[in-house]
Amino acid sequence: MAANVLASIAANCPETSAHLNSAARCRYPAPGYPDSFTYGPLFKIGSFTFNKPMLLAVICAGLVIWFFWAAFGKPKLIPRGVQNVGELGIFFVRDQILRPMMGKRGDNFLPFLVSLFFFIWVMNIMEIIPASQFPANSEIAFPASLMLMVYGTYTYLGIKHQGLGGYFRNMIPSGVPIGILLILAPVEILQYVLVRPFTLAVRLFANMFAGHILLLVFTLATWYLLSAGIGLLWSATSFVLTIVLTAFEMLIQALQAYIFTILTAQYIGGSLEAGH
Amino acid sequence: MAGDSQNAGWTIFGYLIAGMAFYGGLGWLIGHFTHIALLFPIGALVGLGVGVFGVIYRYGRS
Repeated sequence: MAANVLASIAANCPETSAHLNSAARCRYPAPGYPDSFTYGPLFKIGSFTFNKPMLLAVICAGLVIWFFWAAFGKPKLIPRGVQNVGELGIFFVRDQILRPMMGKRGDNFLPFLVSLFFFIWVMNIMEIIPASQFPANSEIAFPASLMLMVYGTYTYLGIKHQGLGGYFRNMIPSGVPIGILLILAPVEILQYVLVRPFTLAVRLFANMFAGHILLLVFTLATWYLLSAGIGLLWSATSFVLTIVLTAFEMLIQALQAYIFTILTAQYIGGSLEAGH
Repeated sequence: MAGDSQNAGWTIFGYLIAGMAFYGGLGWLIGHFTHIALLFPIGALVGLGVGVFGVIYRYGRS
Protein backbone atom coordinates (compact mmCIF):
# COMPACT_ATOMS: atom_id res chain seq x y z
CA MET A 1 0.00 0.00 0.00
CA ALA A 2 2.52 2.60 1.13
CA ALA A 3 4.87 1.33 -1.54
CA ASN A 4 2.67 2.80 -4.26
CA VAL A 5 2.65 6.19 -2.56
CA LEU A 6 6.39 6.06 -2.03
CA ALA A 7 6.91 5.22 -5.67
CA SER A 8 4.80 8.18 -6.70
CA ILE A 9 6.87 10.65 -4.68
CA ALA A 10 10.11 9.09 -5.79
CA ALA A 11 9.20 10.35 -9.25
CA ASN A 12 9.28 14.05 -8.29
CA CYS A 13 11.52 13.94 -5.25
CA PRO A 14 15.29 13.53 -5.37
CA GLU A 15 15.48 11.72 -2.03
CA THR A 16 14.27 8.21 -1.46
CA SER A 17 13.29 8.92 2.15
CA ALA A 18 11.37 12.21 2.06
CA HIS A 19 11.04 13.30 5.67
CA LEU A 20 9.78 16.68 6.86
CA ASN A 21 13.29 17.88 7.76
CA SER A 22 15.12 16.42 4.80
CA ALA A 23 17.14 18.79 2.64
CA ALA A 24 14.94 18.37 -0.42
CA ARG A 25 11.78 19.36 1.55
CA CYS A 26 9.57 16.97 -0.29
CA ARG A 27 5.91 17.46 0.47
CA TYR A 28 3.76 15.13 2.54
CA PRO A 29 2.71 12.23 0.33
CA ALA A 30 -1.04 12.44 0.95
CA PRO A 31 -2.73 9.13 0.20
CA GLY A 32 -5.46 9.45 -2.38
CA TYR A 33 -7.54 7.67 -4.93
CA PRO A 34 -5.34 6.55 -7.80
CA ASP A 35 -2.11 6.05 -5.85
CA SER A 36 -3.37 4.03 -2.92
CA PHE A 37 -6.11 2.06 -4.66
CA THR A 38 -4.78 0.92 -8.01
CA TYR A 39 -2.54 -2.07 -8.46
CA GLY A 40 -0.60 -3.23 -11.45
CA PRO A 41 -1.36 -6.63 -12.93
CA LEU A 42 0.15 -9.67 -11.25
CA PHE A 43 -0.28 -11.59 -14.48
CA LYS A 44 -2.20 -11.31 -17.72
CA ILE A 45 -4.31 -13.73 -19.70
CA GLY A 46 -4.96 -12.03 -23.02
CA SER A 47 -6.62 -8.71 -22.21
CA PHE A 48 -7.67 -9.90 -18.74
CA THR A 49 -5.42 -8.62 -15.97
CA PHE A 50 -5.32 -10.21 -12.56
CA ASN A 51 -4.32 -7.85 -9.74
CA LYS A 52 -3.95 -7.83 -5.98
CA PRO A 53 -7.57 -7.06 -4.99
CA MET A 54 -8.72 -9.99 -7.14
CA LEU A 55 -6.13 -12.23 -5.52
CA LEU A 56 -7.37 -11.11 -2.08
CA ALA A 57 -10.97 -11.89 -3.05
CA VAL A 58 -9.97 -15.39 -4.17
CA ILE A 59 -7.95 -15.94 -0.99
CA CYS A 60 -10.83 -14.72 1.21
CA ALA A 61 -13.36 -16.93 -0.55
CA GLY A 62 -10.94 -19.84 -0.11
CA LEU A 63 -10.45 -19.03 3.58
CA VAL A 64 -14.19 -18.97 4.28
CA ILE A 65 -14.75 -22.22 2.37
CA TRP A 66 -11.80 -23.87 4.09
CA PHE A 67 -12.95 -22.75 7.54
CA PHE A 68 -16.49 -24.07 7.18
CA TRP A 69 -15.23 -27.22 5.48
CA ALA A 70 -12.94 -27.86 8.47
CA ALA A 71 -15.78 -27.11 10.87
CA PHE A 72 -18.56 -29.11 9.24
CA GLY A 73 -16.82 -31.56 6.88
CA LYS A 74 -17.27 -34.34 9.44
CA PRO A 75 -19.86 -32.93 11.87
CA LYS A 76 -20.19 -34.57 15.27
CA LEU A 77 -23.18 -34.55 17.56
CA ILE A 78 -21.07 -33.16 20.36
CA PRO A 79 -19.01 -30.42 18.64
CA ARG A 80 -15.30 -30.30 19.27
CA GLY A 81 -12.56 -27.89 18.28
CA VAL A 82 -13.17 -25.84 15.16
CA GLN A 83 -16.75 -27.07 14.86
CA ASN A 84 -17.53 -25.16 18.07
CA VAL A 85 -16.32 -21.93 16.50
CA GLY A 86 -18.20 -22.63 13.28
CA GLU A 87 -21.43 -23.25 15.15
CA LEU A 88 -20.92 -20.06 17.12
CA GLY A 89 -20.66 -18.12 13.84
CA ILE A 90 -23.70 -19.77 12.30
CA PHE A 91 -25.81 -19.32 15.44
CA PHE A 92 -24.80 -15.66 15.56
CA VAL A 93 -26.02 -15.09 11.99
CA ARG A 94 -29.16 -17.11 12.64
CA ASP A 95 -30.18 -15.62 15.98
CA GLN A 96 -28.97 -12.03 15.57
CA ILE A 97 -29.60 -11.43 11.86
CA LEU A 98 -31.91 -13.98 10.25
CA ARG A 99 -34.54 -14.72 12.91
CA PRO A 100 -35.29 -11.11 13.96
CA MET A 101 -35.60 -10.06 10.30
CA MET A 102 -37.32 -12.99 8.61
CA GLY A 103 -38.53 -15.34 11.33
CA LYS A 104 -38.31 -19.14 11.04
CA ARG A 105 -39.62 -18.98 7.47
CA GLY A 106 -36.33 -17.51 6.32
CA ASP A 107 -34.19 -20.42 7.51
CA ASN A 108 -33.70 -21.48 3.87
CA PHE A 109 -31.55 -18.40 3.43
CA LEU A 110 -29.18 -19.18 6.30
CA PRO A 111 -26.40 -20.54 4.03
CA PHE A 112 -26.60 -17.44 1.82
CA LEU A 113 -26.47 -15.01 4.76
CA VAL A 114 -23.69 -16.93 6.54
CA SER A 115 -21.48 -16.93 3.44
CA LEU A 116 -22.28 -13.27 2.77
CA PHE A 117 -21.45 -12.20 6.33
CA PHE A 118 -18.22 -14.14 6.65
CA PHE A 119 -16.99 -13.35 3.14
CA ILE A 120 -17.49 -9.59 3.63
CA TRP A 121 -15.99 -9.70 7.09
CA VAL A 122 -12.85 -11.56 6.01
CA MET A 123 -12.52 -9.28 2.96
CA ASN A 124 -12.66 -6.25 5.26
CA ILE A 125 -10.24 -7.72 7.79
CA MET A 126 -7.65 -7.98 4.99
CA GLU A 127 -7.16 -4.25 5.49
CA ILE A 128 -5.19 -4.77 8.69
CA ILE A 129 -3.46 -8.06 7.89
CA PRO A 130 0.26 -7.39 7.24
CA ALA A 131 1.37 -7.91 3.62
CA SER A 132 -2.26 -7.79 2.46
CA GLN A 133 -3.23 -4.41 3.96
CA PHE A 134 -5.93 -3.68 1.45
CA PRO A 135 -9.68 -4.07 1.84
CA ALA A 136 -10.83 -5.34 -1.56
CA ASN A 137 -14.27 -3.91 -0.77
CA SER A 138 -12.83 -0.42 -1.21
CA GLU A 139 -12.96 -1.10 -4.95
CA ILE A 140 -16.60 -0.40 -5.86
CA ALA A 141 -16.78 -3.46 -8.15
CA PHE A 142 -16.66 -5.91 -5.22
CA PRO A 143 -19.52 -4.44 -3.14
CA ALA A 144 -21.44 -3.81 -6.38
CA SER A 145 -21.29 -7.46 -7.43
CA LEU A 146 -22.34 -8.57 -3.94
CA MET A 147 -25.19 -6.06 -4.14
CA LEU A 148 -26.28 -7.41 -7.55
CA MET A 149 -26.59 -10.88 -6.03
CA VAL A 150 -28.76 -9.52 -3.21
CA TYR A 151 -30.77 -7.30 -5.56
CA GLY A 152 -31.44 -10.16 -7.95
CA THR A 153 -32.45 -12.43 -5.08
CA TYR A 154 -34.97 -10.11 -3.45
CA THR A 155 -36.45 -8.89 -6.71
CA TYR A 156 -36.88 -12.46 -7.98
CA LEU A 157 -38.39 -13.65 -4.70
CA GLY A 158 -40.68 -10.64 -4.50
CA ILE A 159 -42.07 -11.26 -7.98
CA LYS A 160 -42.30 -14.99 -7.31
CA HIS A 161 -44.18 -14.64 -4.02
CA GLN A 162 -46.36 -11.61 -4.78
CA GLY A 163 -46.68 -11.59 -8.57
CA LEU A 164 -45.29 -8.86 -10.80
CA GLY A 165 -48.17 -6.47 -10.17
CA GLY A 166 -48.40 -7.35 -6.49
CA TYR A 167 -44.69 -6.77 -5.97
CA PHE A 168 -44.97 -3.18 -7.15
CA ARG A 169 -48.33 -2.66 -5.44
CA ASN A 170 -46.90 -3.78 -2.11
CA MET A 171 -44.15 -1.16 -2.34
CA ILE A 172 -46.79 1.50 -1.82
CA PRO A 173 -48.47 1.79 1.59
CA SER A 174 -52.08 0.60 1.45
CA GLY A 175 -55.11 2.76 2.18
CA VAL A 176 -53.63 5.96 0.82
CA PRO A 177 -55.82 8.69 -0.73
CA ILE A 178 -55.30 8.96 -4.50
CA GLY A 179 -53.74 12.44 -4.35
CA ILE A 180 -51.07 11.41 -1.89
CA LEU A 181 -50.56 8.16 -3.81
CA LEU A 182 -49.63 10.02 -6.99
CA ILE A 183 -47.01 12.08 -5.16
CA LEU A 184 -45.61 9.27 -3.03
CA ALA A 185 -45.70 6.28 -5.42
CA PRO A 186 -42.70 7.25 -7.59
CA VAL A 187 -40.61 7.90 -4.48
CA GLU A 188 -41.52 4.51 -3.01
CA ILE A 189 -40.81 2.63 -6.24
CA LEU A 190 -37.54 4.48 -6.79
CA GLN A 191 -36.50 3.56 -3.27
CA TYR A 192 -36.98 -0.16 -3.98
CA VAL A 193 -35.46 -0.35 -7.44
CA LEU A 194 -32.66 2.20 -7.17
CA VAL A 195 -31.86 3.69 -3.77
CA ARG A 196 -31.80 0.43 -1.79
CA PRO A 197 -29.27 -1.42 -3.97
CA PHE A 198 -27.24 1.74 -4.51
CA THR A 199 -26.89 2.56 -0.80
CA LEU A 200 -26.24 -1.10 0.02
CA ALA A 201 -23.16 -1.16 -2.20
CA VAL A 202 -21.96 2.38 -1.56
CA ARG A 203 -22.22 2.09 2.24
CA LEU A 204 -19.80 -0.82 2.29
CA PHE A 205 -17.55 0.67 -0.38
CA ALA A 206 -17.33 4.14 1.22
CA ASN A 207 -16.65 2.81 4.71
CA MET A 208 -13.80 0.64 3.49
CA PHE A 209 -12.43 3.36 1.21
CA ALA A 210 -12.42 5.93 4.02
CA GLY A 211 -10.96 3.45 6.49
CA HIS A 212 -8.08 2.63 4.16
CA ILE A 213 -7.28 6.32 3.64
CA LEU A 214 -7.59 7.03 7.36
CA LEU A 215 -5.06 4.35 8.25
CA LEU A 216 -2.74 5.43 5.42
CA VAL A 217 -2.76 9.09 6.52
CA PHE A 218 -1.46 8.26 9.98
CA THR A 219 0.88 5.48 8.87
CA LEU A 220 2.52 7.78 6.34
CA ALA A 221 2.58 10.68 8.82
CA THR A 222 4.42 8.48 11.31
CA TRP A 223 7.12 7.89 8.74
CA TYR A 224 7.09 11.42 7.28
CA LEU A 225 7.36 13.26 10.60
CA LEU A 226 10.06 10.97 11.95
CA SER A 227 13.25 12.87 12.76
CA ALA A 228 15.84 13.18 15.51
CA GLY A 229 14.36 16.44 16.87
CA ILE A 230 10.98 17.48 18.22
CA GLY A 231 9.47 15.81 15.17
CA LEU A 232 9.82 12.55 17.06
CA LEU A 233 6.93 13.67 19.28
CA TRP A 234 4.59 14.29 16.33
CA SER A 235 5.67 11.00 14.82
CA ALA A 236 4.93 9.16 18.06
CA THR A 237 1.50 10.80 18.25
CA SER A 238 0.73 9.60 14.73
CA PHE A 239 1.93 6.15 15.64
CA VAL A 240 -0.37 5.97 18.66
CA LEU A 241 -3.27 7.16 16.49
CA THR A 242 -2.44 4.47 13.92
CA ILE A 243 -2.81 1.83 16.64
CA VAL A 244 -6.04 3.34 17.98
CA LEU A 245 -7.55 3.71 14.51
CA THR A 246 -6.59 0.14 13.62
CA ALA A 247 -8.67 -1.02 16.59
CA PHE A 248 -11.46 1.32 15.47
CA GLU A 249 -11.29 -0.08 11.94
CA MET A 250 -11.62 -3.62 13.30
CA LEU A 251 -14.95 -2.52 14.78
CA ILE A 252 -16.04 -0.88 11.52
CA GLN A 253 -15.11 -3.96 9.49
CA ALA A 254 -17.28 -6.27 11.56
CA LEU A 255 -20.05 -3.66 11.74
CA GLN A 256 -20.21 -3.17 7.97
CA ALA A 257 -20.41 -6.91 7.34
CA TYR A 258 -23.20 -7.07 9.95
CA ILE A 259 -25.13 -4.14 8.44
CA PHE A 260 -24.83 -5.50 4.89
CA THR A 261 -26.12 -8.90 6.01
CA ILE A 262 -28.92 -7.57 8.21
CA LEU A 263 -30.20 -5.30 5.43
CA THR A 264 -30.05 -8.22 3.00
CA ALA A 265 -32.13 -10.24 5.46
CA GLN A 266 -34.60 -7.39 5.79
CA TYR A 267 -34.98 -6.95 2.01
CA ILE A 268 -35.40 -10.68 1.37
CA GLY A 269 -37.81 -10.91 4.31
CA GLY A 270 -39.83 -8.07 2.84
CA SER A 271 -40.02 -9.88 -0.50
CA LEU A 272 -41.24 -13.10 1.12
CA GLU A 273 -43.97 -11.23 2.93
CA ALA A 274 -47.00 -10.21 0.93
CA GLY A 275 -48.24 -6.74 1.77
CA HIS A 276 -46.49 -5.03 4.68
CA MET B 1 -42.46 -6.60 9.86
CA ALA B 2 -40.34 -7.46 12.88
CA GLY B 3 -37.15 -5.76 11.79
CA ASP B 4 -38.79 -2.67 10.43
CA SER B 5 -38.25 -0.48 13.47
CA GLN B 6 -34.65 -1.61 13.79
CA ASN B 7 -33.67 -0.45 10.34
CA ALA B 8 -36.02 2.51 10.11
CA GLY B 9 -32.98 4.78 9.88
CA TRP B 10 -31.87 3.37 6.53
CA THR B 11 -35.41 3.45 5.18
CA ILE B 12 -35.81 7.10 6.19
CA PHE B 13 -32.50 7.91 4.53
CA GLY B 14 -33.77 6.10 1.43
CA TYR B 15 -36.96 8.18 1.41
CA LEU B 16 -35.03 11.44 1.47
CA ILE B 17 -32.63 10.34 -1.28
CA ALA B 18 -35.36 8.83 -3.47
CA GLY B 19 -37.57 11.91 -3.09
CA MET B 20 -34.75 14.26 -4.04
CA ALA B 21 -33.64 12.02 -6.91
CA PHE B 22 -37.09 11.68 -8.44
CA TYR B 23 -38.42 15.22 -8.11
CA GLY B 24 -34.99 16.76 -8.67
CA GLY B 25 -34.68 14.67 -11.81
CA LEU B 26 -38.17 15.66 -12.90
CA GLY B 27 -37.32 19.34 -12.31
CA TRP B 28 -34.07 18.99 -14.21
CA LEU B 29 -35.81 17.31 -17.13
CA ILE B 30 -38.49 19.99 -17.42
CA GLY B 31 -35.88 22.71 -16.90
CA HIS B 32 -33.70 21.18 -19.60
CA PHE B 33 -36.42 21.61 -22.22
CA THR B 34 -37.86 24.90 -20.99
CA HIS B 35 -34.39 26.37 -20.32
CA ILE B 36 -35.27 27.33 -16.75
CA ALA B 37 -32.25 26.18 -14.74
CA LEU B 38 -33.91 27.00 -11.43
CA LEU B 39 -36.36 24.13 -11.81
CA PHE B 40 -33.70 21.58 -10.81
CA PRO B 41 -33.01 22.96 -7.29
CA ILE B 42 -36.71 23.68 -6.82
CA GLY B 43 -37.51 20.09 -7.78
CA ALA B 44 -34.86 18.73 -5.41
CA LEU B 45 -36.29 20.79 -2.53
CA VAL B 46 -39.82 19.68 -3.33
CA GLY B 47 -38.53 16.10 -3.45
CA LEU B 48 -36.92 16.53 -0.04
CA GLY B 49 -40.28 17.74 1.25
CA VAL B 50 -42.03 14.75 -0.30
CA GLY B 51 -39.42 12.47 1.28
CA VAL B 52 -40.03 13.97 4.73
CA PHE B 53 -43.76 13.67 4.11
CA GLY B 54 -43.35 10.01 3.16
CA VAL B 55 -41.42 9.33 6.35
CA ILE B 56 -44.12 11.01 8.45
CA TYR B 57 -46.81 9.14 6.52
CA ARG B 58 -45.17 5.79 7.11
CA TYR B 59 -43.77 6.11 10.63
CA GLY B 60 -45.43 9.13 12.19
CA ARG B 61 -48.91 7.69 12.51
CA SER B 62 -48.34 4.39 14.25
